[in-house]
Amino acid sequence: MEPKNVMIIGGGIAGMTAAWELAEAGLNVDLVEKSGFLGGHAIQYTCKATSECLQCGACSVEKMLKDVVGNNKINVHLSTEIESIEKNNGYSIKLNKTAAFIDAQKCTNCGICYDKLKENNVILQGYSKNNMPLYAVNACKIDENKIALKDVCPEGAISVSDKASSEDLTADAVVVATGFTPFDPNRKSVYGYDKFPNVISGLDLERIKRQNGFLARPSDGAPAQKIAFIQCVGSRDENLGNLWCSQVCCPYALRTAESLKHKNPDLDITVFYMDIQNTGKSFPAFYETCKNDIRFIRSIPVDIFPIENGNLNMRLFDEAQGTPIMEPFDLVVLSIGIMPNSENEKLSAQMDIALDEDGFFKNSDDLNKTSTSNDGMFIAGTAQGPKNIAASMAHAGQAASGVLKYLGVTK
Amino acid sequence: MNTKQQNDVETIDMATDIAVIGGGYVGLKAASQISENGYNVILAPHNDTDVNFSRLNVPSTEIDRLKALEKEVADNTNVEILPASTLVEATGVPGNFTLKFLSADTVVEKKAGAVVVASDTAVNPLNHIYGLNPAANVVSLSELENLLASEETKKEIQTGEKTVAFLVGFAHEGSPVLMKRILNSVSEIVGLDGCSAYVYVNNIKVADDGLERLYKQCRDNGAIYFKLEKAPTVKQENESLTVSFHDPVIRKDIELNPDIIVYEESLTADEANLCLAETLRIDLGPMGFLQKENVHRLPVSSNREGIFVVGSARDVQSLSKSFADVDNMVLRVKQLIGDGTKSIPAKAVVDREKCTICLTCYRCCPHGAISWDDKAIISSVACQGCGICASECPMDAIQLVDFTDDEMADRIKEAAAVTAANTPKIVAFCCQNSAYEAGLAAKAFNYELPAGLQLIKVPCAGKIDIHYILDALVEGADGVLVLACHHGNCKSESGNTYAQWRINDAYRKLAQVGIEKDRLEFATLASNMASGFARIVIDMEKRIGQKKD
Repeated sequence: MEPKNVMIIGGGIAGMTAAWELAEAGLNVDLVEKSGFLGGHAIQYTCKATSECLQCGACSVEKMLKDVVGNNKINVHLSTEIESIEKNNGYSIKLNKTAAFIDAQKCTNCGICYDKLKENNVILQGYSKNNMPLYAVNACKIDENKIALKDVCPEGAISVSDKASSEDLTADAVVVATGFTPFDPNRKSVYGYDKFPNVISGLDLERIKRQNGFLARPSDGAPAQKIAFIQCVGSRDENLGNLWCSQVCCPYALRTAESLKHKNPDLDITVFYMDIQNTGKSFPAFYETCKNDIRFIRSIPVDIFPIENGNLNMRLFDEAQGTPIMEPFDLVVLSIGIMPNSENEKLSAQMDIALDEDGFFKNSDDLNKTSTSNDGMFIAGTAQGPKNIAASMAHAGQAASGVLKYLGVTK
Repeated sequence: MNTKQQNDVETIDMATDIAVIGGGYVGLKAASQISENGYNVILAPHNDTDVNFSRLNVPSTEIDRLKALEKEVADNTNVEILPASTLVEATGVPGNFTLKFLSADTVVEKKAGAVVVASDTAVNPLNHIYGLNPAANVVSLSELENLLASEETKKEIQTGEKTVAFLVGFAHEGSPVLMKRILNSVSEIVGLDGCSAYVYVNNIKVADDGLERLYKQCRDNGAIYFKLEKAPTVKQENESLTVSFHDPVIRKDIELNPDIIVYEESLTADEANLCLAETLRIDLGPMGFLQKENVHRLPVSSNREGIFVVGSARDVQSLSKSFADVDNMVLRVKQLIGDGTKSIPAKAVVDREKCTICLTCYRCCPHGAISWDDKAIISSVACQGCGICASECPMDAIQLVDFTDDEMADRIKEAAAVTAANTPKIVAFCCQNSAYEAGLAAKAFNYELPAGLQLIKVPCAGKIDIHYILDALVEGADGVLVLACHHGNCKSESGNTYAQWRINDAYRKLAQVGIEKDRLEFATLASNMASGFARIVIDMEKRIGQKKD
């Protein structure tokens, strides 16, 4: 029997896991990724180990990425979007590839293009050595930089054309693993994310740690000493209509705080929260450690004002006094939540699968949350709702299992 | 000895019967899914558990499906059920396990290609933490669920216009699985005319689909939550109940007299897990659940190939997540067993002339891959190629096919011989799962690295012999680094610990011959720590470089 073809939309941890599982089961996989890099949000996270592993799962994304790029049954389409998808005895798909991309066969990952064109974000750098190529052309910047792009690569690996190219595919089943969009912290204007350089998001913190090897303040590059984490920024917010917990931010903040504290025990870290969510099965013991190392304040700060030296004054409610007080911090980290992918409505219409009331893809069966109202289509990962890395992988495995069942692939 | 010639691909017959231990819904689902994929199933339920559907967090519409699942498995001729059984012995290797069950007072022996553990959780009422005695008006969450499930008792609550107080999250941290049950009950109570619900709660665990919305719905319908750091004081005198506490929001002491108090329960690991872990030689993880939280493994895998843990066997999980586990387990079973024959190259070989069956290898193998007849035998299917056994074997009787001692000696000689002008020579032994990847990443991202740095890839830090370290120094390395995975992040569980022990041993030996301690360093890394790698090697270069000056 001819091996079946499956198309996976989205190359984050869920899409990669589904692709790998299906390839292991002998199917041919087309893995379509909109950006220039596989790995999605999950690959952007740094290791959170203290003297021991804290099970953040970031390294398992690294491993999965390596396995996916090394698997010849997985055909990866980077910088590519779905133009159209039609169901007829399987699926006919039209792909749209951006007008400029780096040819993986020719690219030697020398980094010359990045060094020359990183200033204006024309060339972007990947997050892992397993991002192949390690560099990508920023689709938004192609038009005004065509000439620079044409000549920058000594290997001639950058292909620039006038138009986006298209490609036709057929698939017997589809996995939707389009992930999430991080909450835009500017929507909570009281925290001044766009005004104060030392108010950063969790994703910013990851970028800073990766680039500097330590948590440097954006304003002056100095190591942060007194740090606040504000939880539930965008999640569990009735005013915004976001009636869900993002599930990853408490583990994120606690592990990050512990990891920072391990490197520098003098750091003063405060976590502002509503309710602390569990990190894993060792949570009770871990939470006790955290309570010893971190100050927990059960209140979400009201707002933030700048003071001297880039420091920030935070207005918070003092439980003992029953009044608002001001407390200075030199870095504030916003634990921004998991929002539905901003393109979900378009994708939903394209693929004819419904969204739920929050805007995530709706599962049609409560006991199998990868199922959709469209028979040969399955959801994987945060496209269905907030999940951590391990849960996204488990969900993607279940989606792969669903695909195999749908296509009648048994032992 | 060159073992490469022995590296024949072995073709192994794999038993296609799969044993499932645990007969709750997750066990039944596992049996059904495995059977659907063409394998026979031996289903070994512990006992006939009293199923309480509300405890499963299943909408009433799904109950019929679960009942149908029970019937489907009972009628499935490819599923053999061993009623009321306990696993008493497990020997063999993946593809060929021999299992002995005590089933209805007789010992039954079965062959299985793989074993799936689907044990349930235990429910523990926590009234004693609050100093409460169970009574008609002091009930556990399960008891309340039963009261609400019966029309008659539900009506009693309603006509009595009862005020119900819930105590949540002070006796233990709880979980979204429990929180969903609590919120469902709160929702039912506030839905009864004249009834009201007060919820005294520490952290509200809303980290699962739909819980924040349910929490809000309850609030909108009149439920009142008091979020407290410490448990309220509860008094139970005859039938009178008093709950007093300090409200942090209005900053006042408050006293309430509910008609009913509902105390929380905890869901803990099945006590059977302890015996199962021992019998199956798999690791027991935190809180008595099976399997360590090792991110190098896919969620349902244990430290032994062919033994899988699903659902509540590995953590407190909702039924939908447990069913996702089942689907993931089926993928692993298919990958391992396939159609019943497997061709696999050996990763490690035993020199039968040298082996004295001291069984050091059997004891140190973290994957249960080693058995013996008149010599040690390493199962090709079970072996993960870490090499801990090869380094621990006192007779040097075990060689890894891809990392023989001869090849390692050549590689060390070669690495120590490379010179860069005026800079120290540093040999870094790097675990291929972490530090080696980090090292390659540091190069790819153009981090500044010492000119005299040479990486030697090892399958696991547990493969780094003390000889390797000493040989590198003898051959001319100025510094040696042993770079392992973080504690708790070793793919072979204990490889990094073995490496650490050997380093300590090496320090003693170096001290005896007067070599400075800082020529040798042990550090831990993850595969994504390119900058961490660069920092460690540069630090060593600086340190030794200063010495040289």
